[in-house]
Amino acid sequence: MTQWSMVIDLDKCVACQGCSIACRFENNTAPATPEQAAIGRSMFWNEVFPMLDEANDYAQPRYIPRPCMHCENPPCIKVCPVGATYQDEEGIVHQNYARCIGCRLCTVGCPYTVRYFNWTQAEWETPLAEHLNPDRVESSGLLEGPAPRPRGVVEKCTYCIHRLQKARAQAVAEGRDFRADDYVPACVQTCTGKARFFGDLDDPNSTVSQFSKKRRAFRLLEETGAKPKTIYLQEG
Amino acid sequence: MGSLNRRDFLKVSAAAAATGFVLEGIPYLAGNQTVSAAGVAQDIKTSSNDVIVPGACSLCPSGCGILARVADGKVVKLEGNPMHPVNSGSLCPKGQASPELLYNPDRLNGPQKLKGERGSGQWETISWDEAIKTVADKLNALRSAGTPEKLVFMVGDPRGQLLPLFERFMQAFGSPNFVRNESLNVAAAKLGVYLTQGVYDLPVYDLENSRYILSFGANMLEAGPNPQRSISGLSYSRRGRATRSKVVMIDPRQGITGTKADEWITIKPGTDAALALGIMNVIIRASLFDADFVHNYAFGFEDFSDDNGMHHIGFINHVLENYDPAHVEKITGVPASTIARLAGEFASNAPAVAILPGRGGLLNGSIGGVYAAMAIHMLNALVGSLDHPGGVLTQRYFGTTAWPDLPADDLTVKSLATERVDGAGTVFPLARNAYQAVADRVLGGQAVEALFLYDANPIFDAPGGKRFVEAFKKIPFIVSFTTLADETAQYADLILPEATFLERWQDDDIRGFGYPGVALRQPAIDPRLDSRNSGDVILQIAQTMGDVMSAAFPWKTFEEVIQFRLKDLGVDWKTFQELGVWLIPGYRYADRGGQHWVNEVVGRDRRHAPRDGRFDFYSREMFALFGTMERDKLASFGITQNGDAINLPHYEVSAPAGDMAQFPLRLNVITLMSLGPVSAAANMPTLQEISGMTVGEHWNSWLEMNPSTAAKLGLTDKDQVWIESPFGKLQTKMRTVRALREDVVNLPYNQGHTALGRFAKGRGVNGLDILNPASEPASGLAIFTNTNVKVYRA
Repeated sequence: MTQWSMVIDLDKCVACQGCSIACRFENNTAPATPEQAAIGRSMFWNEVFPMLDEANDYAQPRYIPRPCMHCENPPCIKVCPVGATYQDEEGIVHQNYARCIGCRLCTVGCPYTVRYFNWTQAEWETPLAEHLNPDRVESSGLLEGPAPRPRGVVEKCTYCIHRLQKARAQAVAEGRDFRADDYVPACVQTCTGKARFFGDLDDPNSTVSQFSKKRRAFRLLEETGAKPKTIYLQEG
Repeated sequence: MGSLNRRDFLKVSAAAAATGFVLEGIPYLAGNQTVSAAGVAQDIKTSSNDVIVPGACSLCPSGCGILARVADGKVVKLEGNPMHPVNSGSLCPKGQASPELLYNPDRLNGPQKLKGERGSGQWETISWDEAIKTVADKLNALRSAGTPEKLVFMVGDPRGQLLPLFERFMQAFGSPNFVRNESLNVAAAKLGVYLTQGVYDLPVYDLENSRYILSFGANMLEAGPNPQRSISGLSYSRRGRATRSKVVMIDPRQGITGTKADEWITIKPGTDAALALGIMNVIIRASLFDADFVHNYAFGFEDFSDDNGMHHIGFINHVLENYDPAHVEKITGVPASTIARLAGEFASNAPAVAILPGRGGLLNGSIGGVYAAMAIHMLNALVGSLDHPGGVLTQRYFGTTAWPDLPADDLTVKSLATERVDGAGTVFPLARNAYQAVADRVLGGQAVEALFLYDANPIFDAPGGKRFVEAFKKIPFIVSFTTLADETAQYADLILPEATFLERWQDDDIRGFGYPGVALRQPAIDPRLDSRNSGDVILQIAQTMGDVMSAAFPWKTFEEVIQFRLKDLGVDWKTFQELGVWLIPGYRYADRGGQHWVNEVVGRDRRHAPRDGRFDFYSREMFALFGTMERDKLASFGITQNGDAINLPHYEVSAPAGDMAQFPLRLNVITLMSLGPVSAAANMPTLQEISGMTVGEHWNSWLEMNPSTAAKLGLTDKDQVWIESPFGKLQTKMRTVRALREDVVNLPYNQGHTALGRFAKGRGVNGLDILNPASEPASGLAIFTNTNVKVYRA
């Protein structure tokens, strides 16, 4: 069974934030007002941020982009009281916005803080909403993205689930089997340094699989046991 | 966009199964479908009509190829065009956010005519016919009065055929006053290459094949003349091939480029020339230079005698005598051992390149900046990297169809010969453009009757730009071509709204690989609101003017102009539209001294020095201009040396504007990846939100200061501070940043707008407001980097 995974090569990442913005326009997260941004309520499912290095007296910032890790053992799912978040057989952690009651347990449960609570109604000053991605994914008629979500729910990276499902439909329409390289999330496609790779971790020949075995490969906060499937490659 | 309309290719069945026309691997389904996979059943609903339109971004000089996804007539997403070599499918945050420019709430709707006082913000919307007639009448009156030279056209970076179209307009009209903004950014680097190699263009660095990349203040991963090209090249040189390149960044500020480099070396601001010469001193002493090149294809490497038998000091003795590493250490603050190591690494890791900064970088400050650019570029020549794989290439362009001859009439011949309004070539002997000097010259009495502005916002984007407000009072008629009403447009009489790059036809040269390439902008959607392609508007003005002007411009639309000029591109128009790019990949290297070498690589653009295919270590262009000048006159150009040293790159001490005792810190105005160099980006909310990622700031300015400097000044992180220079003061938030020299403070560019729109206006400060507004006397460069400031708690 396909296990979707992302590899980010920090040696090639130049902290341009192209991934953050590609994600925003693909997934319809609204710009935060200056006031909301100042209190940390920017909605970037895929944030780039500086990590200061203790070993070097904080003189050399290292930059790291951070999407959802789509953990093998996702702590966020365990704490959801209503089953609004769940994992499919291919390892993608879904969020059902209609079921979510906004209790925010998952935002605390996630060791990577990549779950974002929708504190305010998503708003775009007219006519900015014209550019919203018209795609809409539903499960049993309930919204799972990327159409704008209501206020008071938790949002997250879905590895661009709508792109995946469209690629599958495309394969069906073309009368062929779906292949793992038929799709990549928006952040992978836009990466200016070509630092991102995406594919099937279960396929020993895939790029992500090969990279995951490299000496440079590491995962964030491995000690939590969440077994993240977003894998980093060290610099240098 | 008929050729790319999915409806022409797709048959969407009742079950909404679609097969498809797939452009560059981006399949977009139309309609609704259900997908069951991975144990989950999901419904996908999407637009009923999805098309993909290739184009090119215009939010920075890279001009990346894009693919715009147009869903039911709306541009909803941009991707990079994989066919475009600069970005090959990638797209930076500015490009990704550009739907916020297209659908910006502050876009102008129709031509705006000033009502009441300039700067009052009172506008009335008029028809295009009326606007064009107003301009045409004004220009005809200027020609009737016999003074066409009193029309000035200031531009930023018009791309592709728009540049020669504008130039032709000015030429047909009879004005020499077409002023580009390169004195604000790339002219220092261009002069460095011109005065040595004899090519007036930005050098191309073959980063993919370089083993050693030495950047002199070129913050190439964030800004500069081609950031995305540098990112692609460095990414490949680090991880795309068997051996990894080494990257060394020399700059008082670390920045992203220094962070990602193998080594970051701080240097005292304005001393890059000394460092480059110190490195060359070691290379020469160790005989690690390319002997074939310096002896057979260069001029002035060794001492020589001229036709009159006069002895001249050559480069080698000049450098050996004056730039011993121990001495250079005292000037630059870079340890002599580091200088020696850099020299050894640079010379023994061929191919190596030394990179010149474009916008940003601490180069422009005095004539010393020009000498620094020469010295840095000479490093490439010294180790034989010129026109060599992994070295420095020369950009080639597609041949274009020649314009029809302009009718020569006595009036234009006479007026075209008048002195340029900016003093380029006269007051500033080395300059081809002196954008910021227009204000000073107008205030000094140069008569200007009409001013056009395209992609030019001098009140905001020139150091001390506020003096343009005063200068504009002396100009009776000002027209601004712009998408958003920027600071300068506020003082115009007429604003002609420009369609964004997603709505207009335009070609764009693909630069950065040496080989020729052209990208095509085409309307992803029809222009929103009542905006027009400025290329079309210029043609309409010429046609309305009648007489010689309409005869000079027989084309109805700018699209026709592009098709005419690119007729021999070697691709049919339809294929060009579908691909969005056309290239002749594969750089052709020239044999040293051969025909291509002489015609294209070394000496091509020389005006005074012989076009003999010899690279000047002793600049014969400089000699022609300054060689016989009196000492006083030289001093007025900031040249303290005399004799041969004038023509050899050397370190000129440039006195900072602002007494060191009173103003101890150097102000460095930096350009970021997020907000970039183009004003309009500041009115895109998403870019405002991400602008301060490195320090955790949003929607605002901040001043970067080393924490030990802050401690000495009794300041703590996040204090509100005043930044005061001899030219004014600004208040903003101070953030401590360790990766920065203690005597330099950084202020990011593109905040502090007083116009433009709701997202930009009234946020942060513009560092250029307190920079030295003077122009460098010899080169006409804007003085970006010699302003000192003091910082104190607000």
